[in-house]
Amino acid sequence: MIPLLVACPLLFAFLVSLFDVLGVRAKITRFLFLTGAISPWIVFFGIREKVPLDEIVGGYAKTAGIQVSLDYINVYFMLAELILFFAVSIYSIEYFSKHRKNGKIYSLLLLMHTGLLGAFISRDLFNYYIYMEIASVSAFALIAISEEKGAKRAAYKYLILSLTASYLFVFAVGMIYLKTGYLNAELIRGSILPSREIDVAAGIAFSALLLKAGVFPLHSWLPDAHSKAPDPVSALLSGIVVKVPVYGMLLLYLSLPLTKRFLTVLMVVAFASIFFGIVLMIVERNIKKFLAYSTVSQMGYVVLGVSTSNILGSVYYAFAHALIKGALFLSVGALIRAQRSKEIRNLSYRGDAILMLSILILSLAIGGVSPFVGAYGKSLLFEGMKKPLEYILYIAGIGTLVAFTRLNYYLLKSRENFNAYSLQRMPPFLLSLLVLALGVYYGQRIDYMDFVLIVSAVIGFVLLRRSGIIEKDIRYRFSKTVGEEINIFMTVFLLFTLFLLLQNF
Amino acid sequence: MKMSTVVRTTTKLISPFLVTYAVYLMVYGHLSPGGGFQAGVVLAVSVILLITSHGYKKVRKRFKFKEVGMIENISAVFLVSLGLIGFMFGSFFYNFLTKGKFGSVISGGIIPLFNVSIGLKVGAAFTFVFYILLRWVESD
Repeated sequence: MIPLLVACPLLFAFLVSLFDVLGVRAKITRFLFLTGAISPWIVFFGIREKVPLDEIVGGYAKTAGIQVSLDYINVYFMLAELILFFAVSIYSIEYFSKHRKNGKIYSLLLLMHTGLLGAFISRDLFNYYIYMEIASVSAFALIAISEEKGAKRAAYKYLILSLTASYLFVFAVGMIYLKTGYLNAELIRGSILPSREIDVAAGIAFSALLLKAGVFPLHSWLPDAHSKAPDPVSALLSGIVVKVPVYGMLLLYLSLPLTKRFLTVLMVVAFASIFFGIVLMIVERNIKKFLAYSTVSQMGYVVLGVSTSNILGSVYYAFAHALIKGALFLSVGALIRAQRSKEIRNLSYRGDAILMLSILILSLAIGGVSPFVGAYGKSLLFEGMKKPLEYILYIAGIGTLVAFTRLNYYLLKSRENFNAYSLQRMPPFLLSLLVLALGVYYGQRIDYMDFVLIVSAVIGFVLLRRSGIIEKDIRYRFSKTVGEEINIFMTVFLLFTLFLLLQNF
Repeated sequence: MKMSTVVRTTTKLISPFLVTYAVYLMVYGHLSPGGGFQAGVVLAVSVILLITSHGYKKVRKRFKFKEVGMIENISAVFLVSLGLIGFMFGSFFYNFLTKGKFGSVISGGIIPLFNVSIGLKVGAAFTFVFYILLRWVESD
């Protein structure tokens, strides 16, 4: 039954595209799009009782077929994808209704849905790669479709860097296949012996996946791509598309023997990403870029879970972050649509109680304040961690809260009357209520330690404001042409790959 | 873009044979070297040859944009629904048509059907790519 999860949205993607070519009324394509978005939910409810589930597609032998499964590793990725895509599909019906090519956009969104679901259920490295590519190729097209200035350039940069990473990843998968004779994660685990080739394959595959996840030294495509995309697409990109490489890292972690030193390097990279994202969040003025840098920072936490062998922590944190960041992008998108500005200083949520409440809830949740679901992910991430690292993470949590205090300060300060569309206000609001409800469901209580964190974040914000760093207009630019920029990023990427490879010598 | 008479006549002669070859590759894909993707590329080449020799505008009158899009989407829908029909017989993409002697065309079950739909999908998509790219280049 599991392949049905992927087949339904794929069928509806092609049906939407077909009906679009035939030129039927927009109402019918919209209906088909919504059916395609909901259809995996129906399948999911059908199989939810039997959840640790395992299947070979087509009923072939395990050594020959493609294994798909649903268990504790991926069921939360699936849930996050299904919830977020449902919210985004409702939001995008309003958002794209006036767009000239909306049939094509719906079809691409459904293809992305297919790619994400297919990547999350697969236990086979090559199948995982194929579906990750389906999701990324639709992402390139969906970014380029945006009418904003610079969107094509951002999409091109994302395309080149992401495709290079994909080729390196499939090269590494080929090396693993050559050494073990299998592509299935479980079978690889059973027959692998530590060797030089496997170390090289692990290094290349991890650096490719880190680029796709947008972790610090390789993040450079992310802020542009995520901020120039249309708002619902940004929510999907930042919420769930960057989680696909994390699932790949978990698959590799479960199937390859990684050395202790390699994991330590990964941990250092994760910490660097957390703090880099926070520093840029504090100075950034464009609100969508602000959220994109927050993604860079939060992906650091998720990778940290992988590097400390804490799979559950990583999975739950990714789940929490997908919901929170998706909802943040959607609510900020409603603000941007109504007020026609992207500058943090010009925006305001004072005129709209629902958006105000949801942005406040989400800002607290992303800082890991209980009783929201982010706190549960964080508490799982902290389990079994050494004391000094835990203190560093507390400082990082305060940093995130400082940045979000700044966001809320500006949004509260200016006052503007505006009317947001109700179809754009409700999905983020419901998501933020879900974030609260899930936190309570996982047994989070109000914790007095969090008040200390919030108060210190506010104090930190006031101090930073006094010192004048926040008000400064910091603009930086490496180069003029796209070519130069891509060359620089590519050099960084190759140097980073080399660095990871040298760790195992 | 209109090439000389020799080129135009030759491409007109070659194109039908390329279509036949593509059909052969689709139908016999499971028995001999070939398969859906290759067949689709050959199919697309037969149209692309005509585009290069006769010009985009003339070819577009015969192979219409909308029809190409319809072929592409219908074959894709057919492909996925074949996989879904397999569910009635056990599992996704289950080969429910196995009959006939080993080595004959019908022994492949649903595999030739897959190859046909993949071939049409790839051929139409490649033609599409050329149409869209040539829209910017064409200036005759």
